[in-house]
Amino acid sequence: MKAFFENPALLIGAPLLVVGLVGAALMFLTAFAPALPAPEAAGVGGVRVAHRGPGPAEYVNIGLALAAITALEVAVYYVTALEAILAPILILLAASKFLLVALWFMHLKFDNRIFATLFAGGFVLVVAIMMVVLATLGASLT
Amino acid sequence: MEYAGTPAHAQPLETSTGLDNRKLLMWLFLGSECLFFGSLISAYLLYRDRSVVGPYPRELYDIPFTSVSSFVLLMSSVSMVLALAAIQRGDLRRMRVWLLCTALLGTLFLSGQAYEFTTFYDKGLSLHSNLFGSTFFVLTGFHGAHVSIGVIILLSIWVRSLQGKVKQSDSLNVELIGLYWHFVDVVWIVIFTLVYLLTGR
Repeated sequence: MKAFFENPALLIGAPLLVVGLVGAALMFLTAFAPALPAPEAAGVGGVRVAHRGPGPAEYVNIGLALAAITALEVAVYYVTALEAILAPILILLAASKFLLVALWFMHLKFDNRIFATLFAGGFVLVVAIMMVVLATLGASLT
Repeated sequence: MEYAGTPAHAQPLETSTGLDNRKLLMWLFLGSECLFFGSLISAYLLYRDRSVVGPYPRELYDIPFTSVSSFVLLMSSVSMVLALAAIQRGDLRRMRVWLLCTALLGTLFLSGQAYEFTTFYDKGLSLHSNLFGSTFFVLTGFHGAHVSIGVIILLSIWVRSLQGKVKQSDSLNVELIGLYWHFVDVVWIVIFTLVYLLTGR
């Protein structure tokens, strides 16, 4: 107990973790609570439109997956036996988190492809530039 | 899974692309932000091991603490997308709850960053102490500034909603701030892996 109060990381980190877990639990409960019915003529000009995309339950599931991948990242970080292949594993896990957020939360999976093209254009360009710069100037990821 | 919601841009828009120009502009902005953060991350990766004096990354990083911060920011993305889903189905009360929740989680993340910066500074790392310090503080500081701007916008939408100035037909505004917020989260996913996990060991 004394060590807990002497370690600022635990002192700050533990309440943050509790708040995060409470938030996740609330999200889970809210997602499965009965939703209010959508107004009949709520669309623009009174037209009701069905929008293809995930619902709250799916968003919460993706959130749980993101939390699980983060936990896996931290676990892998502490496994000394995996040190040789740590970089590829961590990059793969980060890429999966990136894709989950971009495709589902930012709706790139469901939206017009022009948006995905604009974003992917910037992203691909920066990854290419980073690789060239790091290789040219002799830096590494690890 | 089909989810019945009502996007603000339900009817075809009278633009050359048929898409809302504000959303197009936001995506263009996010594409350019990729380049901005990419250059900062590249600078960090180039210079982190070239400091001639300490402190060095391995002496400072507290991975459990940063992991919790990352978890908090990830959960704020979930609450953000739930706020958007709420306004799209006309549930303004839940939208306000989730917007406030997102802003609070963002503030928690910023508090963690302030604590981390203070700790590092106490251990001798500053903007001008070495190359690692310069690149680290510029990169994470700019990210923190983006989170701060996001929190301010979220709170302003929340206050306007309390005043009755946000309606279901304004869902595009919530979607745009949501895109910005998720982008900030995505950038942190990259920073957490490249800057902390791959350097801290």
